[in-house]
Amino acid sequence: MLIQEQMSLQEKLAVLSDAAKYDVSCTSSGVDRKGKKGMLGNAVSAGLCHSFAADGRCISLLKILFTNQCVYDCCYCVNRRSNDVVRTAFTPDEVCTLTMEFYRRNYIEGLFLSSGILISPDYTMDLIYQTLRKLREECRFNGYIHVKAIPGADPVLIEHVGLLADRMSVNLELPTAEGLRSLAPAKSRPRILAPMRQIQRGIRTQRTEVIPCERGRQFVPAGQSTQMIVGATPENDYQMIKVAEALYQNYDLKRVFYSAFVRVNDDSRLPVLPGGPPLLREHRLYQADWLLRFYGFGADELLTEKQPHFNVFLDPKCDWALRHLELFPVEINRADYHTILRVPGIGVRSAKRIMAARRGAVLDFPDLKKLGVVLKRAVYFITCGGRMMYSLKIDQDFITSQLVGNEHKRTWDITNRDSYRQISMFDDGWMSPSPGAQDVEAAVLGQL
Amino acid sequence: MTEDGKKGLGEGTTTIFVCRDSLEGILCGVYDAWMSRLGHANVALELENQGNIRMFSQYRQVEETSEKTEKVISAICRKAGQEAYEMVFRVSLSREEEKADRIYRFLVYALNCKMSAKDMLQIPAVYEVFRIDRSVGNEAHLLKEFARFSKTREGIYVCTVKPKNDVIILMAPHFADRLRGENWVIFDQGRNKAIVHRADQGWIVVYTDTDRWKERLVESGDQKEFEQLWKVFHERVAIKERTNYVCQRGHLPLRFRPYMTEFGYRLGHD
Ligand code: SF4
Repeated sequence: MLIQEQMSLQEKLAVLSDAAKYDVSCTSSGVDRKGKKGMLGNAVSAGLCHSFAADGRCISLLKILFTNQCVYDCCYCVNRRSNDVVRTAFTPDEVCTLTMEFYRRNYIEGLFLSSGILISPDYTMDLIYQTLRKLREECRFNGYIHVKAIPGADPVLIEHVGLLADRMSVNLELPTAEGLRSLAPAKSRPRILAPMRQIQRGIRTQRTEVIPCERGRQFVPAGQSTQMIVGATPENDYQMIKVAEALYQNYDLKRVFYSAFVRVNDDSRLPVLPGGPPLLREHRLYQADWLLRFYGFGADELLTEKQPHFNVFLDPKCDWALRHLELFPVEINRADYHTILRVPGIGVRSAKRIMAARRGAVLDFPDLKKLGVVLKRAVYFITCGGRMMYSLKIDQDFITSQLVGNEHKRTWDITNRDSYRQISMFDDGWMSPSPGAQDVEAAVLGQL
Repeated sequence: MTEDGKKGLGEGTTTIFVCRDSLEGILCGVYDAWMSRLGHANVALELENQGNIRMFSQYRQVEETSEKTEKVISAICRKAGQEAYEMVFRVSLSREEEKADRIYRFLVYALNCKMSAKDMLQIPAVYEVFRIDRSVGNEAHLLKEFARFSKTREGIYVCTVKPKNDVIILMAPHFADRLRGENWVIFDQGRNKAIVHRADQGWIVVYTDTDRWKERLVESGDQKEFEQLWKVFHERVAIKERTNYVCQRGHLPLRFRPYMTEFGYRLGHD
């Protein structure tokens, strides 16, 4: 291991941001906090994106590793022990300076601090704790902090860190225990789930306390998130979304992130994916994830053991609707919110607008356009005042061919990467969050 | 009947109320047009200096008083709700020339509507205001994200923007909360207008001209260093295997970039 002691701050930043970039979560969402006298910063629940990198991903936080030295040897990771790369570490002061100065210039919403395992999980967690304490207590930083909980670290340390951070995450990395065993032998499922459970309990207990803020700071107020790598191991889409669903239901996770596998190490245990990172698959998983969280779908409605892969040509919502034509068309002026939300081409925002606007008048097709409905997709599934827009036969093959035509270009764009353009997932119902794009949870909850 | 006692020039004659391009101007225009009793179909609002004089129209200059402004505001809040007023406020910041008349049409509907008027997007008068509001709101939101401050020798954080709509006033409360302990300025280069914030005291709007302004913009000693660090970070955090400039441009339109550090902006060099 080449450890560089005499590096400039700029060189360290180059190494330690480069090493952190594969963690896809970069959101600053989930907590609203006003500024305070004598402190710098606040937090905005919907999250803010301050820039976009050349890969089109949002930059919201200063995402860095404390150190890229690591005692472990996870197969897929650039920082694994056996790799011959330049190693370095920040000091807590350096992390504080960067965060404060970047924040004042409005470059970032805050800090996302992760780390390789230096000496031991406890040692590393303590370094992170010292850094955060300095940032909060000495520098008086009141902006957003996302921090990794290191599996295997003392729960007392995790508890302390959780009182300084807004969000914590423990990466599941691979969706199944077998996957983990084959690629990250030092990590085990129970070791990862233990801190997740601890954080969940910490958040829950606080909710039931009579005076939640008695000790001054809240415990992980923006909740916890995790990440799974897509395509490094043979798990199918169905397994992935089942795991995600279980995490939302049993661990109260705020977000599950999906990260298309990038082959950074030449290692025979890792697959060679001729098409590069599986971006379309990652995209479909994000779409399905939104359906789970905001559209009331269950994982078993979207995929089954017999049909374990997402349709390449259709987004999961269209795909579901086509398999359930018996439920359509629905009448826009009468159907309830949840039914309307399931129509392809209608998103959370447009569904809410429909509910509000139809109180005043009977809605017709041209009105729907103004409410943000994507008629191109929705026409096959709705009536207005008992009428369909065109006299169409509801026939699976016909609709499929129409929708696939619309979708084809987009799919092609994603796989070919060059012209993958994002659309607002709330305005048009087809939801295409960019990996790491801001959570718009506040918008969903009607705060916008 | 018009106020000066003459009967209007018959059907088809429009009386145009000319108002200043400001919230107060427009609201007083609403007041005058409404109270003229000429009938909503026979009046229109226009901003000053629009240039295109219409035939068969009478022009009347709107007279601004704070009393009229307050009366209209309180009527909006009472009958259509605080949110509708906030919408009108944001629409008044738009660069669209027809905004004054759009606000008038919206209020004609909203002040007579039993329901929450702002939700009735199928009504054209409501939709237009909704559309303008959304575009003003979007620009203000993006600027909260993409605004960049540079530190001057005097320790003031300065941000230059050139928004399409007059949105710096919508940015002010956001930064006043998060950067409360700093002295900072947000300068609208197109309008020669700035928000000036004093540490722990609050902010005001000032009108200024670019040249006087520029003299004071000398970087602090450490500004260059942090700019450089930010550029390094911005470059390093991208995953090469996923390079996607089209996606980047979709999220971060080119028009914002001249004012952003990571795309080459430097204080005082524009
Ligand atoms: S623990 Fe594994 S994934 Fe984390 S830095 Fe070390 S080698 Fe990489």
